[in-house]
Amino acid sequence: MDVVIILTINGLATGLLLFMMAAGLSVIFGLMGIMNFAHGAFFMLGSYASTWTYLKTGNFALAMLAGTAVGTFIGFLTERSILRPVYGKPLAQILITLGAFIVLNEMVKAVWGPNVIPSPVPPLLEGEFRVGGVLVSRYRIFIIFFGVSTAATVQWLLNRTRLGMIVRAGVENAEMIQILGVNIRRVFAAVFLLGTALASLGGTMIGPTLGQIGPFVSTQYLLLGFIVVVIGGLGSLIGSLVAGVLVGLMNNYVVWLYPPAAMPLNIILMSLILLVKPTGLFGKEGAH
Amino acid sequence: MRRRAYLPGPAPAALILLAGILMALPLFTSSRSTFTMVNMITTSAVFALSYNLLVGYTGILSLGHALFFGSSAYIVGIMMRHVGTSLWILFMAVLISMVFAVLAGLFVGYLTLRLKTIYYAMVTLAVAELLVILAEKSRSLTGGLDGLNYRVPEFFQNAVVVYYLVLIYAIVALFLVRRFLDSPTGKVLVSIRENEQRASSLGFDVFRYKLISSVAAGLLASLTGVVFAIDNRFVMTSALAVDRTLEALFITIIGGVGTLPGPFIGAAVYHLAADWLSSLAKVHAIFERWPILFGGLYIVITLTMPGGIVSAYYRLRLRRPRG
Repeated sequence: MDVVIILTINGLATGLLLFMMAAGLSVIFGLMGIMNFAHGAFFMLGSYASTWTYLKTGNFALAMLAGTAVGTFIGFLTERSILRPVYGKPLAQILITLGAFIVLNEMVKAVWGPNVIPSPVPPLLEGEFRVGGVLVSRYRIFIIFFGVSTAATVQWLLNRTRLGMIVRAGVENAEMIQILGVNIRRVFAAVFLLGTALASLGGTMIGPTLGQIGPFVSTQYLLLGFIVVVIGGLGSLIGSLVAGVLVGLMNNYVVWLYPPAAMPLNIILMSLILLVKPTGLFGKEGAH
Repeated sequence: MRRRAYLPGPAPAALILLAGILMALPLFTSSRSTFTMVNMITTSAVFALSYNLLVGYTGILSLGHALFFGSSAYIVGIMMRHVGTSLWILFMAVLISMVFAVLAGLFVGYLTLRLKTIYYAMVTLAVAELLVILAEKSRSLTGGLDGLNYRVPEFFQNAVVVYYLVLIYAIVALFLVRRFLDSPTGKVLVSIRENEQRASSLGFDVFRYKLISSVAAGLLASLTGVVFAIDNRFVMTSALAVDRTLEALFITIIGGVGTLPGPFIGAAVYHLAADWLSSLAKVHAIFERWPILFGGLYIVITLTMPGGIVSAYYRLRLRRPRG
């Protein structure tokens, strides 16, 4: 029983990090039809910048801030310089984000080297809570609290603000809201920035979970992000949340039972969803 | 006639000339490194050619095309290592690779090609990563991260023989791809790239044609993997990894997406430049990260001259006043 509780907590923590990765991917796709491959690189930038800051200063809050800032800033530059010129050309957009992914990956390797670097848990969050006889990692609890409040904030942004209303309308029908006089490019730039910020914020928290970070982070989490997005449904925020938690939980249970089966199971689950309901759990018919 | 399935003009003549020079090469040199370089460029080029069938001619982006290439390289490696090294067993390995490629192409295609093209990219990436993990974990069969060493049949142990095998394979592949693209099926694929809705309203079963493209590209990539395996006598997980696919993407974009000579020009540029740049690593450490330069070049080409070197060449030629 103890094991189940611990695995569930770990799974929730992983799931919420996956949600942060997938939310941006999903909403950016819903709004502009772009699959943003550079997203994995922003996630990795967040993790590297925060780990570096933490190792230099020993302040985890500052590290999270720095990681998010670096990721978001590079995301802003990417959007401005190379993504903007290819709006409306789907294949060129995909190719450009792939190019950004490659360049950013290599830049991270150039700055921090190609090997893994250790990423310790800050002392304040180290150790375990004792909850009814079960030892639960403090750091995972922190991620869950942080992740849930982030998810709630994003949900609020999307459902209760003007920007959120425009975004939701844009996901339904981008042409229509352009006709209504909304500058969709500015909305898109805002969403792109928010998605990037979420991904790099998620990235800042991945290091201490894994104990180390390396260039593998970008591809691995991009792939998991894709799987979550496909399962949850492209364009659906709530889908990303549910699918993220689902994949996170499944991975943790499976890793405990038989580690090599984790990735195959994710892919089997994704294939099943594509067979039975290609739009994903929460996707709308028109979105695919 | 704005866009054509392949570009006309002197390209075929130049290619025949180039093939002739390469054919005669073993008469003038027996340098191991020259053979290695030409073999590497040629296998990369044919792999990129198969990739171009998907991206350039049908408009389907794949991120896991290496799954076809690497799987057959591993099949050859495992058969040679664990079963035996006769030509007969090699032939069996080729057959198994082809069957696997057809099944894999049908599987990923069937799952995703009814949906937006991006699904194909994501699912192929996932399947390729799955194979990477499998190859890493089944150490007894594949040697895991250390890779797999194996012997090849006696006949293919001669460097010159392998050189001709690679070269002749490339020429045959180019010829077959050109025939394929000139066939009615090839024309339908190009029409899908140009305007999927129109192709579909003309009555073509777009899904079926995309499946054909997926399987054909997979088969060609898989055969290229076999040739690579015979040439290399060593295979590791990088043959399956996403970097391998991205290399084909680079080569296609730099050379010219949707052109036949493109992958060959791109592969030559890519490998010669990579070789040169990594030799500069002694001058400055930044050159160890030469993919940055390629990534930058790739972005610039996508932004400014879609169609790469080949179409830039044709644009320059067409600009000249005609007599």
